[in-house]
Amino acid sequence: MSKLSPPSSPTQAHHPAIPEDQEETGSIPSKSHRNSDSKWPRWGLSRSETDVLLLSTGLKVLLFPAYRSTDFEVHRNWLAITHSLPVSQWYYDTTSEWTLDYPPFFAYFEKLLSIPAALIDPKIVDLNNLGYSEWTVIAYQRSTVILTELILGVVLLRFIRGAVDTSRQRIISASLFLHPGFLIIDHIHFQYNGFMYGILLWSILMAREGHKLSSGILFAILLNFKHIYMYLAPAYFIYLLRSYCMSVSGEILPTRFISLANAVIVVFVVSLGPFILMGQLPQLLSRLFPFTRGLNHAYWAPNAWAIVTAADRVLLQFAKRFGVALSLNESGVASTSRGLVGDTVFTVIPNIKPVQTFAITVGFQAIFLVKLWRSPTYKSFLAALTLCGYSSFMFGWHVHEKAVLLVLVPLSLLAVDSYAYFKTFLIASTAGVFSLFPLLFTPAASLIAVVYSLLWGASVLLPINRQIYEFPRSVPWVILETLENIYLVGFIALQGFVALFPLLTQNRSGSAALEFLPLLVTSVYCAIGLIWAFLRLSVIYLKQQY
Amino acid sequence: MDSINSAVPPNEARKRNVRDRTPSFNSVPHIKGGVPKSRPSTLRNFASNSSMRSVGSDTDRSEIIAPVPRRHLLQTAESSQWLRLDTFSDTNWPSRGISPVSATSSVASNFPTSTASKRLSFSALLEQEKLSRGIPASVSYAKDREEPIEDSKSGGARRWVRWMHRHGLKVWVVPSAIVASIWVKWCIGLGTYSGHATPPMFGDYEAQRHWMELTIHLPFREWYTYDLQYWGLDYPPLTAYASWLCGKVGSLINPSWFDLYTSRGIESPESKLFMRASVVALDTLIYVPALYTFMRTWQGTRSSRTQHVALVTLLFHPALLLIDFGHFQYNSVMLGLTLLALNAFAAGYDLLGAFFFVLSLGFKQMALYYAPAIGSYLLGKCIYLGPVHGSRLFMRLAFTVTLTLILLFAPFLPPLSPSSTILAPVSRIFPFARGLFEDKVANFWCFTNVLLIKWKRMFEGREGILIKASAGLTVLGFLPGAAGLLWGGWKARLQPADLHENKTQEITVPPIPTPTLPLLPYALLTSSMSFFLFSFQVHEKTILLPLLPLTLLLSGASLNEEVWMWGVLGNNVGVFSMWPLLKKDGLGVQYFAMLLLWNRMVGHDPFRLRPNSLVAILSIAVYVTAFLLHALELLVPPPARYPDLFPVLNVLVCTPVFGLVWLWSIKRGIEVGWAIGGLPGSGAKKSGDLYNGTPKPKPNPAMESVRRDFGVRAMSLGYAPSEARRRALESLRAGSVERDVFPPPLGRR
Repeated sequence: MSKLSPPSSPTQAHHPAIPEDQEETGSIPSKSHRNSDSKWPRWGLSRSETDVLLLSTGLKVLLFPAYRSTDFEVHRNWLAITHSLPVSQWYYDTTSEWTLDYPPFFAYFEKLLSIPAALIDPKIVDLNNLGYSEWTVIAYQRSTVILTELILGVVLLRFIRGAVDTSRQRIISASLFLHPGFLIIDHIHFQYNGFMYGILLWSILMAREGHKLSSGILFAILLNFKHIYMYLAPAYFIYLLRSYCMSVSGEILPTRFISLANAVIVVFVVSLGPFILMGQLPQLLSRLFPFTRGLNHAYWAPNAWAIVTAADRVLLQFAKRFGVALSLNESGVASTSRGLVGDTVFTVIPNIKPVQTFAITVGFQAIFLVKLWRSPTYKSFLAALTLCGYSSFMFGWHVHEKAVLLVLVPLSLLAVDSYAYFKTFLIASTAGVFSLFPLLFTPAASLIAVVYSLLWGASVLLPINRQIYEFPRSVPWVILETLENIYLVGFIALQGFVALFPLLTQNRSGSAALEFLPLLVTSVYCAIGLIWAFLRLSVIYLKQQY
Repeated sequence: MDSINSAVPPNEARKRNVRDRTPSFNSVPHIKGGVPKSRPSTLRNFASNSSMRSVGSDTDRSEIIAPVPRRHLLQTAESSQWLRLDTFSDTNWPSRGISPVSATSSVASNFPTSTASKRLSFSALLEQEKLSRGIPASVSYAKDREEPIEDSKSGGARRWVRWMHRHGLKVWVVPSAIVASIWVKWCIGLGTYSGHATPPMFGDYEAQRHWMELTIHLPFREWYTYDLQYWGLDYPPLTAYASWLCGKVGSLINPSWFDLYTSRGIESPESKLFMRASVVALDTLIYVPALYTFMRTWQGTRSSRTQHVALVTLLFHPALLLIDFGHFQYNSVMLGLTLLALNAFAAGYDLLGAFFFVLSLGFKQMALYYAPAIGSYLLGKCIYLGPVHGSRLFMRLAFTVTLTLILLFAPFLPPLSPSSTILAPVSRIFPFARGLFEDKVANFWCFTNVLLIKWKRMFEGREGILIKASAGLTVLGFLPGAAGLLWGGWKARLQPADLHENKTQEITVPPIPTPTLPLLPYALLTSSMSFFLFSFQVHEKTILLPLLPLTLLLSGASLNEEVWMWGVLGNNVGVFSMWPLLKKDGLGVQYFAMLLLWNRMVGHDPFRLRPNSLVAILSIAVYVTAFLLHALELLVPPPARYPDLFPVLNVLVCTPVFGLVWLWSIKRGIEVGWAIGGLPGSGAKKSGDLYNGTPKPKPNPAMESVRRDFGVRAMSLGYAPSEARRRALESLRAGSVERDVFPPPLGRR
C-alpha cells in the first residue's frame, strides 16, 4: 500500500523505490547538475524537463481567455452542487440542466476544489448563479486544470526513469504531456482529462514496475472518477487475473486473489458506500448510464458507425435521385434534414440497437483478450489495453469523439517499440487529433488547435520517425506505405476544404443543407484512418510473439 | 597531453595545417552554405577590403599569411575583453569560437580555465582545443547524451535548438520557431485589447480600426482633417496606406466592419478576429523576415545554432508581443522596417537601408528616435569613404531620402492636391500642443516631477521653455552615440590616394560595411533611450524603441555576459514599466506568461542571480522591488488619496534602470569605438601621423601597448582592423610584403 501515496507533490518523483533514476539520468550530466544547483531545489527534474513544464504552463496560461464549451459551466455547476448541498442531494439536484453525472470520486474531487473556490469568489459556488463567467471563475477553473495535470507530468517523469531507452521515452513522455488532445479538450474546451489520464498512466506504470496490486487499485480508483474507463476494464481484469492471481502454470493463488478483490471492493465501498447507505444507488446509476442517447453523438465520432451512417446518407441520396424503390424509414428521412444534430435514424440500412454494438465490441475484445491470456506480459497488456479501448471506440454506442484519447494515450507508450507500431501510432494520432478540431468551432480557437498540432507533430513525430524508420521490404509494403502517406497528406487538403467551405458557400442559397458537410467529411475521413490503424494494430498484436 | 603534443612536430607547415583545419570543425555550414550575396566569405571580404586601396595581386599573399576575418558585428564585447587582457570569461565562455576562421579564437573560447590559458604555450593550447573538440568517436558518444554539460548554463531556446540539431531536424528549426511565435502571438490576441468595451472613445484598437474606416471611405485630402476629435489620423502616410489596405481587405469579407461612422466602436468577435489577423499578417510579412535577415547578415559568420537561438530570442520578444498583439498596435511594422534598414547597412547597401528607414519613419514618426544614430552612421560612412566617394554617397543618399519622402507624401503634394494640403498631415504628425508627458511614464520628466519639481505647475503658460529644455537634453543625450559614429568614420577613413588608384576597381567591389558598423546598435540604443528619457510627449509604449537595439545586442551575446545581463534586465524592466498599461487592458495573464516564457528561453533565472557585478546587483534590487510591488498591488488597494500610487512607484523603479541602460550604452559605445579605432585623443596623434603620409615604420604600436601574443590575436580576430589595415598599407608603401609586418605564425618559438 505504500506505493499508493499519491504523487501529488513533485518531490515524490525522486522516490527511493526506483534506483534506476540515478543511473539512467544522473550518470552523465550529474556533475553539472550537482555543481550548479546546490542552492535551487531540482525535484529530480532535469533542465529540459523543467523547460517542458514551464513552457507548457506558459502556453496554457495564455489560453485562459480562449473559447470555453458548456463543459466549463458544467464543472462550475458541480463545484456549486458539491459545495452548497449535502451529499444526499448531489445526485438529485436539477437546478441546472448540467446535472452531476460522474462517479462519486469525481464529486469528492469537485468538493475539494470548491473549498478554495469559495474563498476566492463565493459567487463561483453559488448554486443559482448559472452561467457565471467572471474573470475569477475562469482563472480559477483553468488553473485547477493546469495544477491537477501535474499528476500526469509526475507519472510521465517516472516513466522516463525506469525506461529501457531513456531518450525515446523522454520524447514520448513530453509528447503526452504536451499532447494536442489535452490542450484542445482540457485547456480550451475544458475538462479534467489530464489528471485522470495521469492516474491511468500511473496504474500502467505500476504494472510495468511489477506492482500489480497497486495497478489494480489505481484503476479501480480511476473507474470511480470517470466511468468511461470501463472500456479498458476487460484488459485489466484478464491481465490481473492471469498474471497476478494465477501462477505461471495456471493455478489460482487464493491469497493474491483475495487481496486484490478486497482492495478493489474497498475502493468501491469508499466511493459508492455513502450512496448505498442512503439507498441512492439506482438514482446514481441512472445518472451515470443514461441509455436514452443515440448511436452517434451530435458530431459523429470517427468510428465504424460514422462510416455506416455516411453510407446510409449516400444511399438515401442515391435512392432519391434514381427512384430506386427502397423501403425508406420516414423518420430517418426527417432526421437527415436536421443535419447532424440529434439522434441518428437510418433510412436505408436497418437501425442498429445498443445490444448489437455491445456484442460487436465484446466480440472484438474477446479476440485480444485470448491473446492476452496466453501471454500476460507488460507489453502484451499494453497492446491489449489499447485494443480494448480501441474496440469500444470503434463499435461502442454513443461514443464521443473525445474518447479517442483512450486509444491515443496508451498507444503512445507503444509507439517507439518498432516502426510498425510507430506507423500505426502516426496514422491514429493524426486522424484522432484532427477529429478533435471540430470541438472548437470558433475560428480563433481552431487556428490555435491546428497550428499547435502541427508544431507538436513536427517536434514529436518527426524525430521518432527519423530514428526508427524502416524501409518496406517488398512491393506490397511499398504500395501500402505510399497509400498511407497519401492518406496523411490528404489531411492538408481536408483542412483546406473545412476552412474554405463556409467562406465559399456563405452567400449561396440553400447552403444551410450543406452546413454540416465539412463535419461529415472530417468524420468519415478520420474514421477511415482510425479503422485502418485499428486493423493494423490488431494484426501486429496478434502476430507478435510476446 | 604529452603524447599528443609530440604528435605535432614544431614544424610550421604542419602547424598551418592545424590552423587550416580548425575552422572546418566549427564553421563549415555557414561559410559554405550561406547566402553568398549578403555574406561574402571572410577571405573574399578581406580581398575586397584591400582591393579598395591596393593592387589586387599583392593581396594574395597577405590573405594567406594573415587573414583578417570579418568581425562579428554584435560580438564586439569579446573584442574589448581581448584587448583588456584580464577578463577571460572562465565559465561563461561562448559555446562557439569567437570567429569561425580564426584558430586562435577557438582556442581561447574552448579552453575554459583562465590561469592555464595564460601559462600554456600556443601549441599546447591547440592541443587542448583538439582535445576539447574531441575525436569523432567521442563526438558520436556525446550525441547520445541527453544533456551535455553546457546545458546547465544555457537557456531553453538553446537547449531546444541543440536538441533539434542533434536529431537531424536542423532545417525545421526556423520554420517551427516562426510558426510557434505566430501561435503565441495569436494566443496573446485571444485576450482583450486597449479600450475594450469602454465607450465612447475606446482605445488604440478603435483608433486603428477607425483609420481603416476613414481611409477607405474618404479621399486623400480629407484623411488628416476628418473629425479630429474622434481618433483623427495622426500617423504618417504609410500607416494610412496600410490602413487603407487592411480596410479594403476587411470590407471584402464584411463591409459592415468598416462602415463610415456607423461602425464606430464595433467589437464583434469576427471584426476582432480580422483586426488581430491583420497585425499578425503585417508582422509576419515585415518583422519576421527582418529578423531572419538580421540573423543572416549581422550574425552570418556565427554558428547556425547561435543564429537560431538569436532568432528565437528575438521572435518571442515579450514587450513587443504584448503591445502589438495584446494592447493592439502595429509597432512591429515600424521596427521591422528599421531593422531591414540595419540589415541593408550591414550588407553594405546603404541606399536600400536609407529607403527602408524612410519607410519606417513614414509608418510611424516614432522612428525619429533612431534618426540621429542612423543619420550619423551614414554621415560617418561618407566621411570614411573620403571626400570624393563620400560626397558621391552623400548625394545619392540625399536623393534617395528625398525621393522616398516625396513618394510617401505624393498624394498630398501639388500635382495631386492643392499645396496647402500637406500642412494637415505635418501638423497632425508632430503635435506640440500636448503636455510634457502623459499618464505616468518612466522617463526623466515624470520621475523628477514626482520626486523634485512640479514641472507643469512651475512653467504654467511658459511651455516653450520646457520644450526647448527637453529638446536640448535629448540632443545632449544622443550626442555621444552620434559623435562616436562620426568620429569612428573619421578615424578609419580611407586614404584618398588609394581610392584614386582603384577608381575603376571600386565600382565592381561588392558593397562592404564600414568599420563603424558595430557601433550602430549601441548608438541606436543611446539615441532612442535618450529620446525616451528626455523628449517631449513620450508614451510608455515608446520603450519598445530602445528595447529593439538592446534585444538585438542581447541576441548576439553569450550567457551571463555583460551585454546579455543588461539586455535581459532592460527587457524585463521594460515589460514591467508597461504593467499599468497592460493591467488596464486586462492583459495581466499574458504579461505573466510572456515573462515566464521568454526568461526561460533566454536562460535567465531571476531567482538564481549572484551579486557578482554591478548589473547583477542592480537586477536583484530591481526584481525584488518589482515582486514586492506586484504583491502589494495584489493585496492592498491603493489609498484613496493616491489612486495612482502603484503606477508612480513603478515609474520610480523603472526610470533609474532606463537611465543606467542609457549611460551603459554610452560607455559601451566608447569601448567598442576604442576597439575599432583607438580612443579619441590618445590615438589621434598616431593615426594623424599615418594619414598625413608619414607612416611610422616599426615597432608597431599595437605590439607595444599590448602583450605580444594577445596583440596578435586581437588583430587576427579583426578587432584591430585599422591597425591591420594601416600595417598593410605600410607594407604596400614600402613596396614589399615583409613577413614581420603580419603577425608571426602562431606557434613560432
